[in-house]
Amino acid sequence: MRSWLAVTFLAVAGFAWSAPEAAKPLVKTAAKPAEPPKLDSTCISCHKQLSEAALEPTKHLDDIHFQRGLSCHDCHGGDPTKGGDDDPSAAHDEKKGWKGKPTRLQIPIFCAKCHADAAYMKTFNPAIRVDQLSEYRTSMHGKRNALGDDKTAVCIDCHGVHGIRGIKDPRSKVHPLQVADTCAHCHNDSVLMAKYDLPTNQPTAYKTSVHAKALYDKGDLSAPTCNDCHGSHGAAPPGLQTVAQVCGSCHTREGSLYRETEKKKKGLNLTPAIQCVTCHDNHAVQRPSDEMFGIGPKSVCTNCHTPDVPQYKAAETMGAAVSGLSVRLAEAHTLMDRAERAGMEVSADRFALRTGQDHLVEARVLVHAFDKDRLMGAVKEGLTSAEAGVTAAERAFAELRQRRTGLVVSLVVIAGVIVGLVLKLKEIEGR
Amino acid sequence: MMTHPRVAAIWNWLEERIGISEIVAMGRHKQVPLHKHSVWYYMGGMTLFLFGVQVVTGILLLLYYRPSSSEAFESVQFLMTRVPFGWLIRSIHSWSANLLVFVLFLHMFSAFFLKAFRKPRELTWLTGVGLMALMMGFGFSGYLLPWNTLAFFATQVGTEITGRVPVIGEFALRLLRGGDQVTGGTLTRFYGIHVAILPAITTAILGAHLMFVQKLGMSVPPSVEAEVERTGKPLRSYPFLPSFLLRDAIGWCAAVGVLAGLAALSPWELGVKADPYSSAPAGIRPEWYFGWMFQSLKMLPAHILGFEGEVLGILAIGALGLVWFVVPFLDREPKPGNKVSIAFVVGGWLALVYMAVATAMVYWPERG
Repeated sequence: MRSWLAVTFLAVAGFAWSAPEAAKPLVKTAAKPAEPPKLDSTCISCHKQLSEAALEPTKHLDDIHFQRGLSCHDCHGGDPTKGGDDDPSAAHDEKKGWKGKPTRLQIPIFCAKCHADAAYMKTFNPAIRVDQLSEYRTSMHGKRNALGDDKTAVCIDCHGVHGIRGIKDPRSKVHPLQVADTCAHCHNDSVLMAKYDLPTNQPTAYKTSVHAKALYDKGDLSAPTCNDCHGSHGAAPPGLQTVAQVCGSCHTREGSLYRETEKKKKGLNLTPAIQCVTCHDNHAVQRPSDEMFGIGPKSVCTNCHTPDVPQYKAAETMGAAVSGLSVRLAEAHTLMDRAERAGMEVSADRFALRTGQDHLVEARVLVHAFDKDRLMGAVKEGLTSAEAGVTAAERAFAELRQRRTGLVVSLVVIAGVIVGLVLKLKEIEGR
Repeated sequence: MMTHPRVAAIWNWLEERIGISEIVAMGRHKQVPLHKHSVWYYMGGMTLFLFGVQVVTGILLLLYYRPSSSEAFESVQFLMTRVPFGWLIRSIHSWSANLLVFVLFLHMFSAFFLKAFRKPRELTWLTGVGLMALMMGFGFSGYLLPWNTLAFFATQVGTEITGRVPVIGEFALRLLRGGDQVTGGTLTRFYGIHVAILPAITTAILGAHLMFVQKLGMSVPPSVEAEVERTGKPLRSYPFLPSFLLRDAIGWCAAVGVLAGLAALSPWELGVKADPYSSAPAGIRPEWYFGWMFQSLKMLPAHILGFEGEVLGILAIGALGLVWFVVPFLDREPKPGNKVSIAFVVGGWLALVYMAVATAMVYWPERG
């Protein structure tokens, strides 16, 4: 059987390994990017004639490694010039570095032979990372792999075997638009996950999240997918105590405000600690709304704070203040819309109203400081802007009324002049 | 009549210097023919009045307007929100510009259909068509001045069309834009064209047009002339001063009322400041009086007989404009029954209907 060749040709494109285990590249034939190798390599020509399974290596023709000048023997060794006479042993010559198909446990090292070699990788891309293997060893996948578990993910599970594409290629399995499905391939497998006592609802939950909507519906490739929170090669659950750091890496203002509260919370001996997921969930993070705080039916504050504690009252005050500001700003905008539709020029006042909107955003963010006074300060400033907006709109309406009154008066005067002219004309022509 | 001693003193002062009684006598002597088409005579006076409104409101706008890309929008915004009656002046200027073009079209087509261009009034027609082109130039250059998004992109499209004119297109494009793109330089250039170059040319041509009208008097349509000849009854008329002028004044007062109503009930909007780096918003279209040309070019296929459709369209519009300009020399004997003359009348109606339909299509909501 030659199907072993069908497994691991160049298992990793974006996967670049670096680790103590890393040694030299397998074969140093491609010191720098070169012209794509000739297609008449005996590897491809022989494997094309074999069984369906043995055709896997032929996918290499569409692989980023092939496009960068690497061929079968650069990873697997052997002699691609031999074997054309139906004698594969000449091509699969161990004296010529023939490695064959690595096992799943061997794959990380197999790929890292090149991808952890900084000097070698620089010949392709001077900025490329070479720490993927060491990262991998910190992940749950890598740790179990090192312990001999061949069911956990290795390079080829995420990047593919042959036919690996660059990570920016939308067809790549690790392109942001593909990552969730790539992870789901294993993490939705209830049989596989049962072995590790892991749930299988995360990919489905993620697809309902605000992050997924931004990624798939708006096409925002900077929106987070699995690897942005869990890490790529060092994939691991953030853990309850560090989730705020993970969320805070993007939501920086919320993160820094939240960290300011850490000292306060330590004295409270809370178990489990209040973290982002307590209010926002983890995979199914939804777009936050003002209804989340306060004491209404959708409030998350009341999940923990009961009416008999002072925090309940604080939540009620903060929720009402933010909602009040939101409503007042909406009123100001509505009035300005009406004034604008009536033909009044209010764009400068509308621009000034943005300050109020900024204060509303600030107040919503300040919820993460759990500091009523700070939040009320932002609300107060926002209300000042909102009131200024309402006043400006009312001023516009007053001017509109004035204009219409002026119009009526001027039309009466004009009509009077016309009547006078008509009478004068009749008088002149009647003479 | 002039019983007040102070008024009489002023009158006498002017009389000694410019002979004002001679001018009044000339106005009283000048007769305006009275017949079933006389109403069209008022269109010229109305156009002139609206042009006067443009001059007065334009001068007032000049006091606040700043012609640079960084200040133009803000200065108009300031004028509309902070300057007393600034909104009124700007709205009247914008509405009046549109009414002016509309009335000018009525004046020009009425002159065409009533054959007012025929000998000896060829020069009146030529200067009139020239004035129409100048008014459209005023509209095109003035549209950009508030430097809002719609104006910016409409000017970009408009100047691009100019750039498609064979041979001189590229030169004309750069001349108009002051470079390859519509920039603050274009704005300053359009401002100069709008407030200095076009007014100077207009003053000269308008002066000539009015002089020809004064010298040659009002044209009587051939059909009315034929009727007079047939019936033998003399054509009735009435004095320019005061009868015609008072009627004109009634129309001007009504126009002021219409402008006041439009300005108060539907002030000309300012829009959003132009951002040359943003993408063009949907629904970019020129001012309505350029609509039929814009729509015609839009409807043409990309290629016609191996030539670029748009270029052929521009050439065809240019040829039509030229024919329109030299109509007095083509329709030489516009008498009832003359086949050439009838053909021009039919052609004129077809052109009018086409222009109306094509303009309506620009504003018709797109389907599907």
